Amino acid sequence: MSESKLSRRELLKKAGAGAAAVGVSGAAAPFSFAGPMKFGNRQLKGDLSIIQWVHFVPAYDDWFDNTWVKQWGQTNDVQVKVEHINNTLLDTRAAAEVAAQSGHDLFFNLHPMASYEDQVINHASIVKEIEKKVGTYGLLGKQSTYNPKTKKYFAVSDNYVPDPVIWRRDLWNGVGEAPVTWDHVRKAAPKLKAAGHPIGIGQSQELDSNMALLAFMMCFGSFVQNAANRPTLNTKTTVDAVKFMAEIYKSEDAAIFGWNPASNNNYLYSGTASMILNAISATRTPEAQHLPFADDLSIWPIPHGPHGRLGLEHVMGCYSIWNFAQNKENAHQFLVDLCVNGKQATDASQLYNFPSFPGAYPFKQIRKAAAADTHKPRGKYTVLTTIAEQFTHNIGYPGTTNAAMDEVFSKYLIPQMFAQVSQGKMSAADSVSSINSQVKDIYAKWKERGKI
Amino acid sequence: MKKGTRFSYAIAIPFAIILAFPFFWMAVTSFKPEAQVYDPKKVWSFDPTLANYGYLFHHTDYVRWLRNSSFVGLMVVLITLAVALPAGYALARLSGRVGRSLGVGIFLTYLVPPTLLFLPLSRVIAQYLHLSDRLWALVVVYPSFTIPFAIWLLMGFFKTIPQELEDAALVDGCSRLSSLVRIVFPISIPGILTVVIFTFSLVINEFVYAITFISSSDNRTLTVGVPTDLIRGDLFNWPGIMAAILIPSIPLALLYNAFLNRFIAGFTGGAFR
Amino acid sequence: MGAVAAAWGSRRRLRYVAERRGFLATLLISPAVLVIGALVGAPLVLAAYLSFTDAQAGSLTGRWVGLANFRHALHDPIFRGALWHTFLFTVLSQMVVIVCAGLIAHALVRSFRGRWLIRFFILLPWAAPIALTAIGFLWFYDPQASIFNWFLIKLHIVDPAHVPNWLGTPKAAMSSIITVQAWRTIPFAVVIFIAGISSIPAEVDDAAAIDGATGLRKFWYVSLPLQLPIAMVAILFGIIFTATDMIVPFILTNGGPFNSTQVLTTYAFQTGINAGNIGEGAAIALFMLPVLALVTVGMLVFARRAEVT
Repeated sequence: MSESKLSRRELLKKAGAGAAAVGVSGAAAPFSFAGPMKFGNRQLKGDLSIIQWVHFVPAYDDWFDNTWVKQWGQTNDVQVKVEHINNTLLDTRAAAEVAAQSGHDLFFNLHPMASYEDQVINHASIVKEIEKKVGTYGLLGKQSTYNPKTKKYFAVSDNYVPDPVIWRRDLWNGVGEAPVTWDHVRKAAPKLKAAGHPIGIGQSQELDSNMALLAFMMCFGSFVQNAANRPTLNTKTTVDAVKFMAEIYKSEDAAIFGWNPASNNNYLYSGTASMILNAISATRTPEAQHLPFADDLSIWPIPHGPHGRLGLEHVMGCYSIWNFAQNKENAHQFLVDLCVNGKQATDASQLYNFPSFPGAYPFKQIRKAAAADTHKPRGKYTVLTTIAEQFTHNIGYPGTTNAAMDEVFSKYLIPQMFAQVSQGKMSAADSVSSINSQVKDIYAKWKERGKI
Repeated sequence: MKKGTRFSYAIAIPFAIILAFPFFWMAVTSFKPEAQVYDPKKVWSFDPTLANYGYLFHHTDYVRWLRNSSFVGLMVVLITLAVALPAGYALARLSGRVGRSLGVGIFLTYLVPPTLLFLPLSRVIAQYLHLSDRLWALVVVYPSFTIPFAIWLLMGFFKTIPQELEDAALVDGCSRLSSLVRIVFPISIPGILTVVIFTFSLVINEFVYAITFISSSDNRTLTVGVPTDLIRGDLFNWPGIMAAILIPSIPLALLYNAFLNRFIAGFTGGAFR
Repeated sequence: MGAVAAAWGSRRRLRYVAERRGFLATLLISPAVLVIGALVGAPLVLAAYLSFTDAQAGSLTGRWVGLANFRHALHDPIFRGALWHTFLFTVLSQMVVIVCAGLIAHALVRSFRGRWLIRFFILLPWAAPIALTAIGFLWFYDPQASIFNWFLIKLHIVDPAHVPNWLGTPKAAMSSIITVQAWRTIPFAVVIFIAGISSIPAEVDDAAAIDGATGLRKFWYVSLPLQLPIAMVAILFGIIFTATDMIVPFILTNGGPFNSTQVLTTYAFQTGINAGNIGEGAAIALFMLPVLALVTVGMLVFARRAEVT
């Protein structure tokens, strides 16, 4: 990046010298020194710095850094600098930037940073501007980035990632089952284990376990909070869900308690797992590596539970602009343009990203693009649009994603609630009630702070 | 074979095997094709390849990370010596009882858990020193944990240097300061070497400050570059990571080993006493 | 004195001042005190202040809440667990270090053929950056491809259907992080122990031999007490590095499974950084400072006593 910066500076210098020469030689364009690369109609200038994750689909970063950012920078005459860091380090980085009161103009995180609300601008005007161009903000995005209590958008989500069930059709057929409902999963689990291919739903202190278990609870009608963002964990349905998962666990591998976010993928890639809950990077890798079972991988919505089929996003791309950002105007414009061009981003991510503003790339069109994917079985990716449209909710559903929910999530209380029962250390009722008291403390704290 | 030697072999060989085994396995993994690392049939009989090393050197900024880490390491070593040598000497020799309690006080700074200190420090780096995203930020901050360590080590060394040597120099008309430079420091070379090596390894190990103060890829150090570029979300490039660990470890261990005799001479000279 | 000094020229006076012990000492120590004060002291004071506030999400200011953070922490079962795990993690790993390093050091003081190579192997764990080797251990402990399990299966110690889950059950996970922490600290302790042993004057050995003390008795009554002061410092550094550095549990388990390897440093990080409660995180991080200070001072005093006798 620094090299391109240098070359641009040089270019500017040369252009400036050229302009001066022109100026000396006559009455030629007095504005020519404003920059050699201005062919857009906007009059932004200066710099923009962005920090974001290393995308799970490398092609996306390629597109973002080398195509999108370059074009946008040239069009707007803005020098854009993009930095990528490992996604697990984004929280640390955010805290450091706030503490320093200096950092990047656009800060990307993989989850809505609700606790940073006081440190960021209100993004309402950005949302409004995007809505004007491509239609309303999807409910998922809004629920994730808007605080109804303070009436503030603390971020803008440009994309989210659906979280389907990925399962081996060959193995499930072998035992005559399919993961239609959680009951089917429970029944199939021992048979699959006997066949040497257990299912793999994590109960560890990591993102994938957190997501899978929260979604699982929702299918049973158990929610951490209600629509008014008040804690509602301590119910019989929660206890039932925990017991149910403990039963599924009996046919799983004990390694699920020590997993990291890559573990369930590896479990699948090694040919062992018969089912995992993960984003489609878990099917893209076997395709790319030509693993023998790549064509047997099916993508389905989360299984149906007693309360229905309620899934979560897998990750949620959210950009925020700090109060202390140096180039707010450029960041604002960049974010608007990025969200409006959600189609390009979604395509570049090989349908990993889905636009948070559905108007930017209507489901119908995504479906068409998915249908064109040539991997077998053909059309396997089309179901993603159904999942995204009907079964994908925000963390904290039916409430909004807020600081208290974020803390419950960051402290891995939900995996803990499940794991200590699955390992037989506690009864389901005790586990739920002990976790519930911690959850209530957290909610009380954030309520007192006026954030929920 | 003498009984003592037998004892040495019986203890040292198993321990050497246990302690070095992870590195042996890293080496094996680093020569595996990425597609075979999980294959249970290819644990030993894989198709050896240098591709992972090639990837490190041609498709990542590995060399730059090494360079950045070495640069920071060397600068911090210099600063640490510049500050810790005089302080260690003074504490050992010049201020008696006060020196002893000050010594303990300096040791106590070690107890401060670094976990959250990076927050206030990042304010200092950005607002007061304007060093955000510069390697110099690390050069400035790392001495905070290397200097106390170094003072503590050097204090011990200086205590063992006979006072008479210095007094002789004083009689010859040297000032205390020049006797320090001309007589004391040269004798303390083993101690200085010890400090150099421990400081360097502390710097190479550091992680939290490196990820919070450095963001651009040009300025990454080893401990930041590897997790960022060799872990791609759900995919760990295991052979690449193993190669990346081995490359700096082996020469550093060789260096430490070469100095170990002097190390021991240094310690025997009386660190910590 | 002052009058005499004044009689000399100002240059001379400067020189005289420079020769005064107190002044020179101050001059030599002050850069260190300044650097440490600015880079450790000031941030520490700020962190202490934060622990009494409700500061959130990276912010360095907050509403004063008194001891609420500490009360909240004590009420929190994860925190209470973390206190215990920190103790276990530190004490057990350092016990392993002391035993292993003691043995290795005794073996290495003698010169024997191949010592150079063996020393190289033993030093390796200290030479490698731990932030990266911890990631390496993630691979050695991998549930599917663990090389340790491969050996255990081949040696018929475990049955392939029931291989250990190194990071999956509370006891195994705690043992795993203790192993890695011990592994990385042993070389450091070995070096210092060797120094301790070789600092025992040869005369002492001879005297012991004349008195008829041999083997274990000699070790117990003669060598051990003499090495203790130096060993103490290695132990002290080991304890502090282990109690205050989070990298090993942070990378290997992230506190799991169900917070059974959560230690104070990782929990402070999770609370302060990931969950956005800086104040509470600071309280958790600082909680053990007084304890460690007591341990340190106690051990240093003990080391000095032992040295004198």
